[in-house]
Amino acid sequence: MNTLAIDQESAEWLRDLQGNGAAREHATARLHALLIRVARGEASRRRSTLPGRAIEDVDDLCVQAASDALMAVLAKLGTYRGAARFTTWACKFAIFETSTRLRRHAWRQRKVELDDTIWDRLPDAAPPVLQRLENDQLIVALHRAVRDHLTERQRFIFQSVTMDDVPIDVLAERLGTSRGAIYKTLHDARAKLRRVLIEAGHGEPVS
Amino acid sequence: MTESQLQKLLGSTAPDPGCEGSGEFMDEYCELVSSGEPLPDRFAAFLTHMANCVACREDTESLLALLLEQEKTNTG
Repeated sequence: MNTLAIDQESAEWLRDLQGNGAAREHATARLHALLIRVARGEASRRRSTLPGRAIEDVDDLCVQAASDALMAVLAKLGTYRGAARFTTWACKFAIFETSTRLRRHAWRQRKVELDDTIWDRLPDAAPPVLQRLENDQLIVALHRAVRDHLTERQRFIFQSVTMDDVPIDVLAERLGTSRGAIYKTLHDARAKLRRVLIEAGHGEPVS
Repeated sequence: MTESQLQKLLGSTAPDPGCEGSGEFMDEYCELVSSGEPLPDRFAAFLTHMANCVACREDTESLLALLLEQEKTNTG
């Protein structure tokens, strides 16, 4: 793997974490402390997205997230190329672990179900009559495309994420898979829908 | 249906490397933006993914906010 010119501080982190003995232990402890601060900062930023009952568990969740982020960083040390500072690279893992847990935490008592009445609630900013007509036709065509051309799983993921605002990490947990795998299903569903809409004469809906 | 609603439903047709592929660029992207440097063209697919994926966009915004905060603390 290509390694870019690494700044001195990042090189020191790498040297200590890849070494042995006290230097490694000290660097690991410093990194863990940094990741806990980042996790708590992320939780603080996201506080307004959490229901009241969920707030008391947040600090434990941050510590778990930081510990998992530390494990991920140590396991992936060999992939660090120096494109960004080491601490920025490491903080990315803490943010991912924390935000994923917080999204799931916020939804832990909510059901995720396929709800077809959502099509009737697609908001519309009352455009002029002709545009309204075209919009209605597009919504009907899209609804038909979702119903007729997506698999059950694609339909569930497409409607949950894009129409019901279910976080992708919540779906990943409920379906026993990863964020990346859910996104891939969503991406494929969107591509299929665009193709069907174009074939039905609706042009290129989104460039 | 507004343009932004349609974008939210169908995403963009531009090349999209997915969550894992984009994650590799996230730290570099945030450092470039926080230091005010121009983004090279190779970030085009990353930006497409940011438009298409709420979770990755939020995580990137969080990392960027963290860097800007650190910068403010360092210079303040």
